[in-house]
Amino acid sequence: MKKIHFILIPIVFFGYVLSKVFQPDSESVKDKFTVESISSTEQNEMKKFHDNSSLRVTQKLNCKSCHSSEYPTKDDPGLLGCPRSEMISVYHSPEEGPETVLINEMSDYYSGVEFPHKVHAEMSEMSGGCTGCHHYNTTGPVLNCRKCHESSRSREDVSLPDLKAAYHRQCMTCHKQWSNDNGCSTQCHTRKGSGSIINTGTSKNKTHPALNLPTKLVWETNSKTNKIVTFFHDEHINKFNLSCTSCHNQESCIKCHAGKNRGDIGKLSRKEKSIEEHHQPCANCHFGNSCQKCHRDKEMLSFDHARSSGWVLKSYHAKVSCTKCHGTKMPYRKVEHKCVTCHKSFSAEFDHKLAGFTFSEGHTGLECKNCHSGGDFTKTPVCTDCHDDKSFPQDLPGTRK
Amino acid sequence: MIYIEHMNNIDRRNFLKTAAIGAASLTLGSATVKAADKPLSDDRIGILVDTTACVGCRHCEWACRTAHGLPAGELESYSDNSVFKEYRRPGNEALTVVNEFENEKNPLLPVFVKSQCMHCEKPACVSACIVGALTKNEDGSVTWNDDKCIGCRYCMVACQFQIPTYEWQKSIDPHIMKCDLCSERRSNGKLPACIEICPNEALLFGKRSDVLKAAKNKIKRKPDTYINHIYGEHEVGGTTWMYIAGKKFDKLKMPPLGTATAPGISEAIQHGIFAYFVPPVTLFALLGTMMWVTKWKKTNGSDEPKGKLPDVNDEKEK
Amino acid sequence: MKPLPVKKNFFSLGVIVLAVLAVNGLAFLSIRFYSGLGAVTNLDNQTPWGLWIGVDVAAGVALAAGGFTSAALAHVFHRESYHAIVRPALLTAMLGYTFVAFAVCIDIGRFYYIWHPLIMWNGNSALFEVGICVMIYMTVLYIEFLPIVTERFIGKVNFPGALAAFNKPVDALLKLLDRGLSKTMFVFIIAGVVLSTLHQSSLGTLMVIAGQKMHPLWQTPVLPLLFLLSAIAVGFPMIIFESLIASKSFRLKPEMKILSNLGSMTVPLLGIYLAFKLGDMFIRETFIYAAKFDYTAWMFLSEIGLLLLAFLMLLSRKTSGSPAMLFTAASLIIAGVLLNRFNNFITAYKPFYDTVTYYPSIGEISVTIGCIALLVLIYRFIVIYFPVISHEKK
Repeated sequence: MKKIHFILIPIVFFGYVLSKVFQPDSESVKDKFTVESISSTEQNEMKKFHDNSSLRVTQKLNCKSCHSSEYPTKDDPGLLGCPRSEMISVYHSPEEGPETVLINEMSDYYSGVEFPHKVHAEMSEMSGGCTGCHHYNTTGPVLNCRKCHESSRSREDVSLPDLKAAYHRQCMTCHKQWSNDNGCSTQCHTRKGSGSIINTGTSKNKTHPALNLPTKLVWETNSKTNKIVTFFHDEHINKFNLSCTSCHNQESCIKCHAGKNRGDIGKLSRKEKSIEEHHQPCANCHFGNSCQKCHRDKEMLSFDHARSSGWVLKSYHAKVSCTKCHGTKMPYRKVEHKCVTCHKSFSAEFDHKLAGFTFSEGHTGLECKNCHSGGDFTKTPVCTDCHDDKSFPQDLPGTRK
Repeated sequence: MIYIEHMNNIDRRNFLKTAAIGAASLTLGSATVKAADKPLSDDRIGILVDTTACVGCRHCEWACRTAHGLPAGELESYSDNSVFKEYRRPGNEALTVVNEFENEKNPLLPVFVKSQCMHCEKPACVSACIVGALTKNEDGSVTWNDDKCIGCRYCMVACQFQIPTYEWQKSIDPHIMKCDLCSERRSNGKLPACIEICPNEALLFGKRSDVLKAAKNKIKRKPDTYINHIYGEHEVGGTTWMYIAGKKFDKLKMPPLGTATAPGISEAIQHGIFAYFVPPVTLFALLGTMMWVTKWKKTNGSDEPKGKLPDVNDEKEK
Repeated sequence: MKPLPVKKNFFSLGVIVLAVLAVNGLAFLSIRFYSGLGAVTNLDNQTPWGLWIGVDVAAGVALAAGGFTSAALAHVFHRESYHAIVRPALLTAMLGYTFVAFAVCIDIGRFYYIWHPLIMWNGNSALFEVGICVMIYMTVLYIEFLPIVTERFIGKVNFPGALAAFNKPVDALLKLLDRGLSKTMFVFIIAGVVLSTLHQSSLGTLMVIAGQKMHPLWQTPVLPLLFLLSAIAVGFPMIIFESLIASKSFRLKPEMKILSNLGSMTVPLLGIYLAFKLGDMFIRETFIYAAKFDYTAWMFLSEIGLLLLAFLMLLSRKTSGSPAMLFTAASLIIAGVLLNRFNNFITAYKPFYDTVTYYPSIGEISVTIGCIALLVLIYRFIVIYFPVISHEKK
């Protein structure tokens, strides 16, 4: 009977080792949640709960981003205010997303809808980006609407709209304002049994039509003096290299697509704005400027480098981009009217012709500093430094271009 | 309507005070005959109309007519906006209608308000109906019984929302028309027609408690979008249909009603007068005694009342 | 002086006019039964009750109050001298309630279901209470009227030809009925008074449920009390009114002694009503609406004014002595109460979504007038053939 120890001890030992090696699923749990202190069954349950609930935590997250309490439980989760603004990771270029999305899983009276995703995505950058529609998308991949929105209207949890409503609300908020037409089949749907099933193909390869950009906008303000504000839209894009989104980042589609009828594009809807709201798009760059920079008593002329700085841009300089000299930072850096401000050093290979002066044969062999004494290229060299009988500018060491 | 405001402010207190005195004096030791009301289920229906989500497509009108066998026409014809020019009320041909109101916050997105029977928690029509043709069901709905109704239209007088309508052009079998929360569809496990068709789920259907919670959450989450008032939460003691909106409800032509139930005062008086038939029988006994006493006093009394002192207990069947 | 049939020819010029009015009313009524209420009335979904309920039913019930007030006076309080007015008042009440029942029948949409309240009960409904009480009270009134029928026929049963054999048994039956009735009549008389107080007040409860749809000048929780008090106050003036008209029409000597006593008894009754009515107005501070002097306010003021004027008239001794003055005062009270019922059911009803203000249509007015004409004709017929009015045998 005493020999039984010899059998039992190895069995217990091996059992222990095996259980350590094949710990069920613990790895995948740890992959997402970094809770070491709880048992594996609890870990499993927690994983299951978070996967199935509407939270859809799909990336590695710190528990503290959502939970305030030390040991959150199902009944008392101790949730913080939704931290989604810090978690959202749906930033893709329009090209990454699908061209069209077919929405037809619950069509009843109407056919499904071929949603031109790309067109909307292209323009979405100006109105808050993807999250304008893909709201509540926490971390990880872009989620389907039906991940959270139930397709059944009679459901237990009525805190979220159902799927049909979720789709429609996305579209209707803009489209209802865009067009006062109540018809479903004028824009998105076709009535079932009326021939074509869905408007296939119409939205394939569809991109937003080229925007008709203004050159110049002139406003007349209410002030008594300096009424006129002129804004050169094209200059801001072409000369100052601003992207659309640097100003238009929270626009509603309706800003352009207003008007009572669909397709009445371009009519701008004017909303009452506060002074701050009016100045906000400009103030980002022009924060240091005096009012007179924009507010004048007459229309401003378009930007002219020669007029505003006194430096005529000729030949090579005319082709150089603004940022080359003025830096990429807004507002542009002021630059002195000196070659050396940009051209910090000249090497022996420097072709003096470029500076607009071709040397005569007697001068070509000279080094730069022979004439530009002390490496100071800002001063015009003087003949009398070398020659007693010559004087600048009567006698030139070459020919001016 | 100025006097309604008056009712709401100064008068309500007095009104209730007088009502209380009146009712108390009539109730005779609170011996009131309570009607055998079916208790409302905790899971009873609630519907929240989010007027900010409604886009005025009027599909609910079409669905309602179709579900109730009323001439509905083509669904497409409902996209016609011109009907919004005039304020409309539910009627015999449409048990629900949607009306348009101006939205000061965004003129491009007008406010739409659907009207139909509110299915009150304490419905005046049910209390009023002479034959009990209107029933408050356990699930919260208020339904009309074709077999009982005599067409007296007292329900229409009683309803604070002016919902029941009557088929005036019919001589035989005129109906009282009102939303029945699609009782037929629901008995087949379907949702009410308007709720099913609504594209935006501007009509949120669920348990009243859940829906109320959802409404409060919405208001809490978007205090700029909604005013802090759920119309129907407390109005006339609560209703099944409730509304949230971005502007005051009297601007949306919703009657400004107090929280007192519509049949409350009326029923208090009614049960006061009839408290277990005690007051009528007492009056009978009193008059009988008086008759006997006055006759006794006159030795040369008339020949008409020859009886003895009338025994009250014998007249209980009165 | 005993109640005797009035020896008078049924037909007269007035009867022909009344008959024309009655036929006109019946013509409109036939349209109502052929094409529905909408064809004849101005009622709509916002104004479900109109002239027929306000005047034919509500005012009809109030003006038939003479029946129970006189019964209470003569039988319960044993004022024997007033027995002379009991029968005409009873007849008025009986016909009045028949008229009310008829009006209800034509006003309800499904007139063929008029019997439903008998078996389908809703104890919460004021209308149910009114309906049941009116039905029972009408039966009681018919029973109270039976002795007049037996009195007319006992000893005079005379069937023609072959039916003559039934003369004796019918006569015996009538005698038995008469004896039974005279023994139990006190039950019906008291029941009549109790039922009247109940439904007269419940008629007031009817409009309480309309809540804010009713103008605050009229909407008050004491409405049932006001209705009862006004019904009691209008009872005697109604008797005065019809008695004076009847004596004028039949060229009989008016019972001025009784009538002037009734007139002076009306003073406290009317006073109590006015005190409650005005008191209610002051407690609820609704006089601010009366001070607006718009249409609604004027309707309210004229209702009060008519009654106040009559009240002041009756205070003077001269009034109760002169038939003309007494008649005027009684007419004012009747007009005041009539207007009150009209106001309560029609003027005061101001629904929130009121698009069209209700005015009674020609059809509604024709039917109402036609019914009243018919009522007067039947009254005349019964008075001529049955012992109702007390007068000296000529």
